[in-house]
Amino acid sequence: MLKKEQNDLLTQTGPGTPMGRMFRCYWIPALLTSELPENDCPPVRVKLLSERLIAFRDTDGRYGLMDEFCAHRGVSLWFGRNEQCGLRCPYHGWKYDVTGQCVEVPSEPEASGYAKKVKLKSYPLVERGGILWTYMGPPEAPPPLPEWEFITVPPPQTFTTKRIQESNWLQAMEGGIDSSHVSFLHRGDLNSDPLFKGAKGNQYNLTDQRPVFEVVESNGGLYIGARRNAEGGQYYWRITQWVMPTFTMIPPRGNHAVHGHFWIPIDDENCWTWSFDYHPIRQLTEAELAAMRDGKGIHVRYVPGTFRPLANKDNDYLIDRAAQKAGRTFSGVEGIAMQDASLQESMGPIVDRTKENLVSTDNGIIMARHRLLRSVKAFVEKGTVPPGVDTAHQKVRSAAMVLPPDVPFTEGARDALIAQPAVAPASV
Amino acid sequence: MSSAAEARFRVQAPNSLPRSIKVIALDGSGEAVVRRVAASGWRRATFFTMEPGDAGLSDLGGGRRSIAQEIESADLVILVAGPGGQAHAAARIGEACSRVRVMTTGLVVGGAAASDTALSKTLAQLRPWSLMLVMAGNDDYIDDMMTALRA
Repeated sequence: MLKKEQNDLLTQTGPGTPMGRMFRCYWIPALLTSELPENDCPPVRVKLLSERLIAFRDTDGRYGLMDEFCAHRGVSLWFGRNEQCGLRCPYHGWKYDVTGQCVEVPSEPEASGYAKKVKLKSYPLVERGGILWTYMGPPEAPPPLPEWEFITVPPPQTFTTKRIQESNWLQAMEGGIDSSHVSFLHRGDLNSDPLFKGAKGNQYNLTDQRPVFEVVESNGGLYIGARRNAEGGQYYWRITQWVMPTFTMIPPRGNHAVHGHFWIPIDDENCWTWSFDYHPIRQLTEAELAAMRDGKGIHVRYVPGTFRPLANKDNDYLIDRAAQKAGRTFSGVEGIAMQDASLQESMGPIVDRTKENLVSTDNGIIMARHRLLRSVKAFVEKGTVPPGVDTAHQKVRSAAMVLPPDVPFTEGARDALIAQPAVAPASV
Repeated sequence: MSSAAEARFRVQAPNSLPRSIKVIALDGSGEAVVRRVAASGWRRATFFTMEPGDAGLSDLGGGRRSIAQEIESADLVILVAGPGGQAHAAARIGEACSRVRVMTTGLVVGGAAASDTALSKTLAQLRPWSLMLVMAGNDDYIDDMMTALRA
């Protein structure tokens, strides 16, 4: 459990809140690059950290992210005309460049210079790895650009999607480090999902369904190790990475792609779930890409034209009670992503952690909250840069390995937990 | 289904009975942490050290306590040790917990600066008897863990 004030502290990320200020220390994913496919394309509404913004790509290919509403009468610039290096409000023709600077107020004499006195709040928007990243903190102190491995490998080796999740970011993120739920909720998918099946490690999962967990602090966040019995008294380890505040990376299986998530607050009751798959040393195959586009693995199928999952709370996640009864799925919901999201959304928009009853296997979650609370306190009181801003914290990998019984996994998997170009991931 | 309005109508009645948590220091590093955290005043946790020679448990006032009796009344046992310490007693406590099916959590404190050798030694003693093992960089983690577990 958390005290109410702790729960409020961690779940509120709007402007001026402690956690919101800490989130604004990081580059966070804002849009897929494909959402702004060409110069002068239609603008896109973006809500991040409880701020309503508009993103656009101008005539010269520059990206902009700024206050959604025109400074004149508050009209949404989503209706704007993206033309000649600026976004023009269709109401009275006020025009803004990618920095939010007003460059034209047609009703005022140009010589008056009035346009120069109008500027919308704006944030940088940079492309890396098929994603447009933004930094919403103080402009005088931007952190180094993100260097997560999945955005630094060549494009044919990586694939990213995003979906709306109708819950606070924290309960979604906590699902990503809650290794103990996998043996229940996702047990039907190891042998059937094309992006998981066939790995030798799956057999360890299926033959030892009582994993033992070890939680270890890392420089950027946590390692969560799940240990199962393997041959000859050795242990099969699956080591999940959590990097503050909201990056998780799932241990790989066989030669399948490696995957992970970001959970980015839209507002306090909704978040974007970003889901990536990549392979450090090979291109993704057409079959893999087709499966990902079809919603397999950690991806979803969508309501056409949106990022809302096709299975959502308005249709009870298309629950299939017959599949649940037959054991094809444990919860009746199809697909790993929506199995997680359906249950996390059912907890309520912001779960009341004063009422929960955590148990010992929840120590990964408890430690993550501990680190978040400690970091936000240090950041607010002393200005300490939080873990995860340093790009060294971002060059990490999850791992799956068989190790001798007396070896700390942090020692046995030390090299495997660091992203190294052209080195294969440690996987079983 | 999960709107803010819906969340307001969730039943507010208590949904669990209190659990009994026993916190046992296995070595000197563990004892320092246990004595500090015990001073915070917990409602459902009791704290112990190992008697010399690991003969039995000792409460923090120095009174001798039976391992079997203390474990039998526990819902969770937390074993606390430092890297490289003498955590042999984990086996005695662990066996007692195993007999009565009590969950055990191992907590290695001060692990951030520990050598691999020291950590490995402690892990070898704790791993067979811990169903959850945590290596915390800061000694104050146990406070948050116990609060989270409603100690």
